[in-house]
Amino acid sequence: MQTMKRPYQVTAAVLLVLSAFVAIESLKLKYYTQLGPGPGFFPFWLALCLAALSIVMFYQATFRPAEPKPEDFRFSRRGILRALAMCAAWVWAVVMLERLGYRLTMAVFFPFLLLTLGRVRWPIVVALSLLGSLAVYYLFTRVLSVPLPIGPFDGIFGPIDALFY
Amino acid sequence: MDAFQHLMEGFAICLQWQYLLFAVLGCLAGTLIGVLPGVGPAAGTAMLLPLTFGMPPIGAIIMLSAIYYGSMYGGTITSVLVNVPGEAASAITCLDGYAMARKGRAGAALAIAAIGSFIGGNVATLGLVLLALPLTAVALKFGPPEFFSLMLVGLTLATTLASRSVVRALVSAALGLLLAMVGMDPVLGLPRFTFGQKDLLDGIGIVPLAMGLFGVGELLLTAEGSAAAVIRTKLRDMWPSWPEFKAAIMPIVRGTGIGFFLGLIPGVGVLVPTFIAYAVEKKVSKTPEKFGTGMIEGVAAPETANNAYCNAAMIPLFTLGVPGSAVIAILMSAFMMNGLIPGPFLFQEHPDIAWAVIASFYVGNLLLLVMNLPMIPLWVSFLRLSTPILYTLILAFCVIGAYSAHNSCFDVGLTLFFGFVGYAFKKLDIPLAPMILTVILGPLMERALRQSLEMSRGDFTIFFTRPISVVMIALAALFLATSLMKMASPIKEDRVV
Repeated sequence: MQTMKRPYQVTAAVLLVLSAFVAIESLKLKYYTQLGPGPGFFPFWLALCLAALSIVMFYQATFRPAEPKPEDFRFSRRGILRALAMCAAWVWAVVMLERLGYRLTMAVFFPFLLLTLGRVRWPIVVALSLLGSLAVYYLFTRVLSVPLPIGPFDGIFGPIDALFY
Repeated sequence: MDAFQHLMEGFAICLQWQYLLFAVLGCLAGTLIGVLPGVGPAAGTAMLLPLTFGMPPIGAIIMLSAIYYGSMYGGTITSVLVNVPGEAASAITCLDGYAMARKGRAGAALAIAAIGSFIGGNVATLGLVLLALPLTAVALKFGPPEFFSLMLVGLTLATTLASRSVVRALVSAALGLLLAMVGMDPVLGLPRFTFGQKDLLDGIGIVPLAMGLFGVGELLLTAEGSAAAVIRTKLRDMWPSWPEFKAAIMPIVRGTGIGFFLGLIPGVGVLVPTFIAYAVEKKVSKTPEKFGTGMIEGVAAPETANNAYCNAAMIPLFTLGVPGSAVIAILMSAFMMNGLIPGPFLFQEHPDIAWAVIASFYVGNLLLLVMNLPMIPLWVSFLRLSTPILYTLILAFCVIGAYSAHNSCFDVGLTLFFGFVGYAFKKLDIPLAPMILTVILGPLMERALRQSLEMSRGDFTIFFTRPISVVMIALAALFLATSLMKMASPIKEDRVV
């Protein structure tokens, strides 16, 4: 039976490296001032606490009876492709939102996800893409006065924008 | 009774049709603001403030107050249905609310949240009417040492948010505290762990953190196939069962008390009472291991606490003119724009306005309940959408919410990062709630500790010479001791420490 021993050992090692990094960075800050703890005080001691917890986690994973690995711990190929599609869409949004503007970015975001995550009919893809890119844009910018990014090609929406002035 | 007479006069004013309309519009707008990600109650209230310029003073304040407590319920809707907190205070509701939705009990969760919010809000308003001045006097005794001790109590409760391993809960809590250190040092104003990134100078926002950990992380798990799909709810299952109602009674009572008490203290914020209410429920429960699997108590307590908090937070405003949070400060500006100065003189110079607004809190809480309960089937029907459409809409929802919090793509990227963290935590059975709790408490604690030590010129005994602080520290020590005893007890088959 597979156990969670290795995953927790790896997690503990990663946390130990993180706590060492935080401790080193904390020492570059002021540790104590005349009136009490400085900016480096708390992070330094937190890093030490995290290091202690990582050691306890490693000890428990190595020397105590390990928990069985859940059946769904490993992912299926199809599942990981779906998750990757979501990540790809998200990265597209991060990179292009302020370059292309909200409307054009989401005009790619919506159909990409709708077509990669499952079977959705074309009319629904088109309708949702229009709603998600245009309707949401006008809801936020015109009704709620929450600004969303505009891109260099947003001039193509001029006739629609004119309806809302 | 003088207060009772004034309250009746207040009802006579606020029940006029135009003020009822303002209350309805406020509740609707507030619910929508709560549902929409990234647009929190402070931003929503500020955005809608200009709409009230042409309104009579009573109408303006009634509407803005309704937006405030309406947004608390709105955030619950998305927390329960899709595990994405529409408003940061509803993050804790994701734990059991979404789990209830996965069991086909979304309607029951939303109904209990609405009922709990109604009860909590009305009890807090009753407190405003009857006990405002003496309670505010107690709350004003809270200085930095008491604040620190209170946060310490909250921190020790983090261990009660553990699922099967206290060590993993402490790891989550420690990581949350470290995340809270990112940004500007609260006392000296120096950048800390920003690595030259100007986007990190304000620290890590609670919106990308909560949305990433709960929403995106869960989506990645569901897409990959590790999380169960949501079960569609039948209409007859929309209402809580009688056992669920009974189970929710004491959590609602406790949530009311916690939210009310913490609402009196300026600066606590709405997130703290919701998390503390949840942690207390888990602590007192006979089946704490079931929290996170769809316990009605895990929905009732925090949802009651947040509305009790919202209404109780008005008490320092009305009695002393002290706004306890950003939203209350915006409400205060609404008062001042209408020529009214909140505080003790408001009751003497403009008693009709003061009591009409107070009476409107009762009316607004009732309207919220009456409007939202019939809409539950509509909200739950959202879950009937096909999986690709639902996931796409939720992801888009999260992108917009993450961006609109600070108009920053950095926050959108940060949300994805925390999505991966949430995904990894779920795989490794590391609870998320302690991290969120400590991210909120960390800065408050650090600021309070350092201010206390500045007051005492570095002398730590300040925490032990003030009575309220001593009581809080004793309580924290008790909670910590019980958690450590649990950690040291013999390992049971179904529990690994």
